Amino acid sequence: MRSDLAFALRGVGTAVSGTFALRDVSFELPTGYVMGLIGANGAGKTTTIRCLLGMRPIDTGEIELLGHRLPGPVDLRQDVGVVFDHAHLVGDWRLVQVERTLRPFYERWDGVRYRQLLDEFGLDLRAKVKDLSRGMSMKLMIAVALSHHARLLVFDEPTSGLDPVARDELVGIIGDFLLDEGRSVLFSTHITADLDRIGDYVTLIHDGRIVRTGTKDELLDAYRVVRGGPDDLSGAVGVQLIGVRRTSTGAQALVRTEEADLLGGNVLIEAPTLEEIAVHVGARVPRRSPDPGAESHRDADPHPAAEPHHGAGPDHGAGPDHGASRHEPDSSMSTKGIA
Amino acid sequence: MTAIARMAMLDLRTVAPYSSQGLLIFGAEILLFANKPTVLLPVLVLLFTSTLTANPFNIADKANLETLYAVLPLSRRSVVFGHYAWALACFLATATVGAPLAVLFARAQHVPFDGRTLVTVLTLSWALFALNVAIQFPLLIRLGYSRTNYLASVLPSVVVVGVVYRMHLNVPSVRSWLPLILWVAGAVAIVASAAVTLAVDRKRVRYRPPAHDDRPGRQQSADR
Amino acid sequence: MRVVLSNSSGVPLYQQIKEQVGTAILSGELAEGDALPSVRALARDLRISIITTTRAYTELAAEGFIATVPGKGAYVLPLDSALVREQLLRQVEDGLQTALDAARRAGLQRDDLIQILDGLIQAERHDAGSGVPSDSGAVR
Repeated sequence: MRSDLAFALRGVGTAVSGTFALRDVSFELPTGYVMGLIGANGAGKTTTIRCLLGMRPIDTGEIELLGHRLPGPVDLRQDVGVVFDHAHLVGDWRLVQVERTLRPFYERWDGVRYRQLLDEFGLDLRAKVKDLSRGMSMKLMIAVALSHHARLLVFDEPTSGLDPVARDELVGIIGDFLLDEGRSVLFSTHITADLDRIGDYVTLIHDGRIVRTGTKDELLDAYRVVRGGPDDLSGAVGVQLIGVRRTSTGAQALVRTEEADLLGGNVLIEAPTLEEIAVHVGARVPRRSPDPGAESHRDADPHPAAEPHHGAGPDHGAGPDHGASRHEPDSSMSTKGIA
Repeated sequence: MTAIARMAMLDLRTVAPYSSQGLLIFGAEILLFANKPTVLLPVLVLLFTSTLTANPFNIADKANLETLYAVLPLSRRSVVFGHYAWALACFLATATVGAPLAVLFARAQHVPFDGRTLVTVLTLSWALFALNVAIQFPLLIRLGYSRTNYLASVLPSVVVVGVVYRMHLNVPSVRSWLPLILWVAGAVAIVASAAVTLAVDRKRVRYRPPAHDDRPGRQQSADR
Repeated sequence: MRVVLSNSSGVPLYQQIKEQVGTAILSGELAEGDALPSVRALARDLRISIITTTRAYTELAAEGFIATVPGKGAYVLPLDSALVREQLLRQVEDGLQTALDAARRAGLQRDDLIQILDGLIQAERHDAGSGVPSDSGAVR
C-alpha cells in the first residue's frame, strides 16, 4: 500500500437492488491536497463518499484509506473527520455535552483545541446543537474533526446551504487545516466556484461513473468551450461536441482541447471554467433506455434535433443555464456532415 | 473503558437531555404502585425500563446517530453489544432503586416481605426484562425505532402477557420454582438475542470482498 | 512580501505570483536571505490551491530566484547579476515583440518603429524623474 495516498478507489462499484449506483469508480488523492468531487445532484457523490468511509458495502473493486485497505481497523476512524450536510448529533446536546460524549472515543481528543475552535468560530459552549444555523453546525462538526486531530477531512456538500461569507470562512479553515502537509481534504459539491481557487484535484462524476479525474489544471486544460453561430459548430470532422446547446443566435459546446482547432476560424475558443465543464458534461445523455424520471431531464427535449429553438433571446453568451436553450447529446461529427 | 462500555455510555448521553421527564415518570409509577410492594419492581420493569431501553433508538432515529456510530472509531459489534449493555444497566438501575423501595414500602404498610420474597420479585423482574429486551432489541437495532416502533413495543408486551397468563407466572408460583432457572433462562435469552442481532446486523452493513476482475486497464476519460 | 492576484487578467495565477515575486526580488524589495511563506501558508493566505503556489515556487527556484526548504518555506537567493540581466533582457524582448506585433497590424515599417523608439527615449530623458521602466506584465 502506498502511504502517500490519502485514499484511492479502484474499480469501485455498488448496486442498489440490481441497478448500479456506482460503476467502475477509480480515483485517488495524494496526501496533502484538496480534492473536489463535482457532479449534479444524484450523480453519485454522496454514495461515493459513503463507500469511501466504509459506511456502505461495495460490490466490486477495492478502497484504500490512509494506507489501509477497507475494511481497515476500527482505529482508522480516529484519523478521519466527517462533515455531512446534517449534523449527526442529538439536537438537545449542548456543545459542552457534545465534547463529553465524543471525547471517550478518540485517543487524541484535545479539549483545549475544541474550546479554542468554538471560540474562533463564534460558537457558544452552552448553545444547543439544534439551535445552530447550517453554517454553525458545519463549523461544529469541523471543530470536532480538528479536535481529534483527523488527517483526512471529508465533507459532503459543505457549501450547499451556506451564505457566501460562511463559504469563504470554510475556504479559510481548509487552508489552515492543510498547513500540515500530512493532511488532506475531500469535498463534494455542485457549487464549482468553491473549487475554482482552492481545489488541487478535481474528480468529475456523472451518472455513477467518473468522467475525469486529475489536477484541476489538467481538467481545465483538457477541454475548451467553443461558441459560434447557429451552424458554425456542425460539420467539423473528428470533433466530438459535448453537451451542445443551440439557440437561434448561436451554439455552445465543450470540446476536447486537441480537437478545438479543427472547428475553423469562425468559432470562438475559450478556456472553460469548472462550471462550464460540469454543465456540459452533465448534459451528456446516459446511454440507456429513456427514463422520464431520470435526472438528465435536459436531454429529454421533445423538439426535433435540427430545428433552432424558437423564441430564444439574444443571450447566447450568457450563463450556461439560461432557459431558452437546449442541450443535445454528444453529436459526434466524425462520420456525418461530410459533403 | 472498553468500546462496549463507551457505547453504553453514548446511549446514556443520548437520553440524558430528557432525564428529567424520565425521572418524573419513574417517580409517578413508583407512587402509583407504592401500595403494592410485591409487584412494584416487576411493574417498573414492564412500564419504565422497557421504554427507557428503547429510548436511545428513538432519539438516534431523529438525530441521525446511525451516521455517528459509523463515523466514530467503534466496531459494529461494539455498537450492538453496547446497546445490550445499556439495557442491562437500565435493569440494574431500576432494581437498585426499586428493590429497596419495595422493601421500605412493605415495612411501612406492614406487609410481609422477607428475603425470599425479594429474591422472587427480582427473579420475576429479571425474567420480564430479559424477555422484553431479547425480543425488542433485534428489531430496534436491525430496523431502527421508527420502523419498529409499533412492533417493538407491542410484540414484547403481547409475549410477556401471554407468558404470564399461560404459565400463571405470579409471585407465589415463581417462589415455588427454582429462581435460578429463570435467571439463567433470562441470561440465555439475552445472549441469544445479541447473537441474532449481530448476525442480522452484519447482513445490513456487509462488506463483500472485491471480486477480482481481470479487465484490462480502465479508462477514465470522457470518451466511453 | 506583497502578492495581489487578479482573477480577470487572463494570466494564470501561478504566473502572477511568479512575476510579482520575481519583480520584487529584481527591484530589491525582497533582499537576499529574506524568508518567503511556505507554499501551504501562501496558498491559505491567497485562498488558492497548493498546486498553484507550488508551481510558482518551483519555477522561481528553477530560475534561481529562491531556494525552497521542504516542509519549511523558501528564502530569497543572492541575486546573480548575469541572471538578472537575462531576466531583464527577456522582458525587453517580450515588450519589443508585443510592439512588433502591433506594428505589423498597423502597417508600420522598420524606420517608423525606430523613430517611435527614439522619440520615447528622448521623452524619457526629459522626464528625469521616472527612471523605472514600467513593467507591462505585472498586475497593478
